[in-house]
Amino acid sequence: MRRPASIEGLGGVLLFLAVWELCVRSDWLAYQFLPSPSAVALGFKDLLLTRPLAEEILHTLTAVFLGWLIAAAVGVSMGLALGLSAGARRYTLATIEVLRTLPGIAFVPLALLLFGFSLRMELAVIIFPALWPVLVNTFAGVAAVPERLRDVATVLRLAPLDAVAKVYLPAAAPSILVGLRLSLTLALVLAVIAEMLGNPEGLGYAVTREQQGLNPELMFAYVITIGFLGIALNAAIVGAARLALPGRFGPAELGTSPG
Amino acid sequence: MKALLQDWPPLRGLLPLIGVLALWQLAAGEQSPNFPPPSSWYPAVAGLAARGLLAPAVAATLSTFILGLALATVVGFALGLLIGAVESVRRWSSMLLEYLRALPPPVLVPIAVLLVGYTETMKVAVVTLTALWPVLLNTVAGVAEIPDLMMDVARSLHLTWRERLLKIVVPAALPALLLGIRNAVPLALVITLLVEMLTGLPGIGKLMILGQRNFSSPQVFALLAIVGVLGFVLNLVFLIAENLVLRRWPPRPVIHG
Repeated sequence: MRRPASIEGLGGVLLFLAVWELCVRSDWLAYQFLPSPSAVALGFKDLLLTRPLAEEILHTLTAVFLGWLIAAAVGVSMGLALGLSAGARRYTLATIEVLRTLPGIAFVPLALLLFGFSLRMELAVIIFPALWPVLVNTFAGVAAVPERLRDVATVLRLAPLDAVAKVYLPAAAPSILVGLRLSLTLALVLAVIAEMLGNPEGLGYAVTREQQGLNPELMFAYVITIGFLGIALNAAIVGAARLALPGRFGPAELGTSPG
Repeated sequence: MKALLQDWPPLRGLLPLIGVLALWQLAAGEQSPNFPPPSSWYPAVAGLAARGLLAPAVAATLSTFILGLALATVVGFALGLLIGAVESVRRWSSMLLEYLRALPPPVLVPIAVLLVGYTETMKVAVVTLTALWPVLLNTVAGVAEIPDLMMDVARSLHLTWRERLLKIVVPAALPALLLGIRNAVPLALVITLLVEMLTGLPGIGKLMILGQRNFSSPQVFALLAIVGVLGFVLNLVFLIAENLVLRRWPPRPVIHG
């Protein structure tokens, strides 16, 4: 697919904003709490002047990265074990199929019960669901390592750890990175959910706080900020993946798979 | 049936799950406040059921989920076809769609609550609105990947736009649509539960939050198990439906120009 022309894309955004502004100004969209884009722009000013935005972003990012790193460490090691051992696969895959469909949000009440309002509560909500994309993609990547490459490890008499580090992980790396990217996106979604429902900190809480305080301009400003955070996280991991494995990723592999 | 579940791993793989639950049952005291043994979960839901709370909650959650997913599928597919098929619409909407793809769906819930209020309509609307994007984005990608050659064929055969849509575009976009719905299924379930937890509208999510507020850990665990079964069954139903659709309308070999 051709890369979308960004000038027309920008035009689309401006058109959308203009129509939205007109609809609100002309009372055609008469929702009591729907601010016009210009009001939201003023809301951004309020947000920067009167709200602890930097702290809120930092809090959410901390939860996202900690949760993601733990999920990634557990997911890669379990995925490796499953990819390498057919026996482990036979005796665990069905359990994984059952557990991975459990919606992460269902852990919110449990995490609140166990950890109260804390960062640990957020992590408990993030880690379980964020684990599966890494685990499944690592497992699939390792299982798909070609026979000849496995033979190389055997012929060279590599110690098991060497074989993993020098043969299996590099061969499975593209697949693992796809899992890591999906998992990072998921971690942001879950952090926002955990903050909306539980831990009263960070950007997720800020959105519900402004909603309950009936400050629609600020609420929209926060929502838009969260969207840009999502874009930044995605761009960061795609960039890191391209740095780690130069030449392995076109825009299609990492950039456009649906989240 | 068996052929429809061909990818399903051997059932002995359930042993770890069963083992953990059995160990939990043996190790946890009957009154354990944080990790009540599985045997105490059943009385907790039975209590809810006896008070006539469980079945309506499951029904409310399921009906919101199904209605929201169905609307999202129809609207997402229609919009996706339009955006994917018309080059200029695709270009003009590209940046907006790129942004909406990155926006975490849960943030749309407070917006909907503020605009529409605490109503059942809002509940369905917000599930539709969030589950729409995976369907829409996948459909756009599916339509955009139809080779130019196939559209040239349509042109040289003088097909009307209706015939083009039904004979070329829709069949070619079908696998992408299914992939989109597959991504939308877990999302719709999460958003349904989120709305219930956040607004107190009736459903399983509300019961879970109430259980947590009353410090009734057996109730929270029991409902967690119910949600787990629900998630599993809904995914399974979709998987079977997907396989049935693909068997009836197998993806055509793509002709590249």
